[in-house]
Amino acid sequence: MPLSNISVMICDDSILVRKKLKDYISSLGVAAVYEAADGVQAVEFYKQFKPTVVFMDIVMPKKTGIEAVTEIIAFDKNAKIVMASSVGTQNHLKEALSAGAYEFLQKPISNEQIHKILEIVAKGVK
Amino acid sequence: MFSQFFGSYLLNEGLVTAQQLSKALEEKKNTRLKLGVLAINEKYMTAEQVEQVHNAQATMDKRFGDLAVEMGFITSKQLDELLSVQPSDYLLLGQTLVNDGVLTNSEFEKAINEYKTSHSLSDDDISDDQSAKLSNLISEFYHFETAENAKTYTAYLNLLFKNIIRFIGDDFTPLEASIIRDLDANYMVYQTVSGNLSCVTGVEAEKYQYVKFAGRFAHEELSEVDEYTHAAVGEFLNLHNGLFTVNLSNDFGVELNLDPQDYRDNEHVSYKKTAFCIPISFSFGIVNFIISI
Repeated sequence: MPLSNISVMICDDSILVRKKLKDYISSLGVAAVYEAADGVQAVEFYKQFKPTVVFMDIVMPKKTGIEAVTEIIAFDKNAKIVMASSVGTQNHLKEALSAGAYEFLQKPISNEQIHKILEIVAKGVK
Repeated sequence: MFSQFFGSYLLNEGLVTAQQLSKALEEKKNTRLKLGVLAINEKYMTAEQVEQVHNAQATMDKRFGDLAVEMGFITSKQLDELLSVQPSDYLLLGQTLVNDGVLTNSEFEKAINEYKTSHSLSDDDISDDQSAKLSNLISEFYHFETAENAKTYTAYLNLLFKNIIRFIGDDFTPLEASIIRDLDANYMVYQTVSGNLSCVTGVEAEKYQYVKFAGRFAHEELSEVDEYTHAAVGEFLNLHNGLFTVNLSNDFGVELNLDPQDYRDNEHVSYKKTAFCIPISFSFGIVNFIISI
């Protein structure tokens, strides 16, 4: 499946991070890029849009990224969620993996890392 | 070039699966660090030499360290050094993965070397001039605080300077730090780090300098203090604090959490504990970095 057929959701409370990620991902020709500014929106928008892959921050207001992953996985156990956090400590890594996250990236995240993950996800989608 | 927890590095590189990593992180607390892994980590021995000692052990009832010395791979001085090493948390994770058969010794060797090369900012990346300024500045803290806090402040500041060079630029001069109890903040981002140690951190500046600092980080021309400008300064602080917590987790197994950043415009701020204000003079003006542990 080409990148033009996948959709991406970015969950981060920083408007700067969302904009930078969205600009880059859109430049790759991805079909749709959704934005969520906190954990509550992340769960809501996931259910609404069913994106192919999600980039999820951990430290967010209202609901943390880990809590959001747990709820999204309960709704769709095949959800592909990439944690993208500035706090890549082992506890966070452990919690994210057991909640069902698919990858864990320590911020700052390079465009190459994003591209690589999107290519892998796109290939995996039948 | 970035600090990253060894576990997520292995996951990103496809060297372990999420399941294998999850299991190893669980088991790690019961793992005892072995000399082979330690010697590979210190680059005293190659994985192949470790295997040779293991093979020899199959035929001789001798301890790994004594055999390694006898076979001429390490000196007895190096052996003493290895025996007194404080086990880093990331090494315990590596050892667990080797014990589980997820990684062979030689896969571990390759991974640990690549991890160290690509994910640490060595002192070589900082010029002598900056290094000297940095140590002068940091040594001031030793006069002010207890030894324990001085160590944390030093680690924090060391990383702060590296991150400023990395994300903002190297055109700066640190000015003399001062102890403050309160601050008339012009524009400010702050973030609380909590856990085994709790600290309040912040970045503060007048409007022009604040906007310039944000613009440097975002690689954009900014002109006003709005949500986007705050988010740029906030993300710098968040990245820096995040990398600080990752370093502590990696090296000492100390786990800290970050609260979401918050912003203040033209407010008087009081600190419960002693805070340090570290002014840094950039080519566009002065930005204050505040930390209170």
